[in-house]
Amino acid sequence: MQLFDLTQRSLHAALHGAAVRQNALAANIANVDTPGYRRVDVDFQDALRRTLAGDARAVEALEVTPVPDMRAVAVRQDGNTVDIDREATEQATNGLTYQALVSVINAREAIIKSAIGVA
Amino acid sequence: MSLFGAMDASTSALQAQRLRLNVTAENIANAESVGYRRKDVVLRQATGGGGFADALQAAKGVEVAAVVADQDPQRRVLDPTHPDADAQGYVTLPNVDSVTEMTELISASRSYEANVTAMQTAKTLFSRTLELLR
Repeated sequence: MQLFDLTQRSLHAALHGAAVRQNALAANIANVDTPGYRRVDVDFQDALRRTLAGDARAVEALEVTPVPDMRAVAVRQDGNTVDIDREATEQATNGLTYQALVSVINAREAIIKSAIGVA
Repeated sequence: MSLFGAMDASTSALQAQRLRLNVTAENIANAESVGYRRKDVVLRQATGGGGFADALQAAKGVEVAAVVADQDPQRRVLDPTHPDADAQGYVTLPNVDSVTEMTELISASRSYEANVTAMQTAKTLFSRTLELLR
């Protein structure tokens, strides 16, 4: 019996993934004028899905790193693949995902707190 | 890795774009200075600490590789009465084109704004994380 169930631990992993992705998107926006820069991205949802499909206990050790996005096409003559509109949208979406995760974690922790009588 | 990484990346870009603005302002200021060459800022992806972990860690900011002089030919204007005129009576004026400088100025200022927005998002997320402690 654990205090935090698999869902809660998966939520923590997803929150970490969203934070890493926010950093990757910030780096892309920072390099919008860098000649030849390849945009980086993190697919933490896919990594999480694969972990949960396999050994779900590994979810706590799930580590995601930004990788160069090979599918992105150059938007400029110098080979830079950062499309500023796309980055802004992705960042807004990722930010909302992050906030949603925080809300769900908060709500679930409130339930645990009330169950153990500290709230 | 924390959200501060995102803010560090945005900070490096704010510094780089500010330098671009400064260099462009210098170019415009020297639009009529004899012998001046317009300068350009070359950006590159920040390398981090240079270790193996840093090389794997793809999300980093931007840094200024160099400020280079534009090698486009300077303007030669015939003005024999000018104190800086050469033996043939020509004065070498800068290769500064106001249209280029203005587009550069707008580009740098828009990139600056984009990074301010990115930093604000990171800040919002960070303060949301603090709610977890309540």
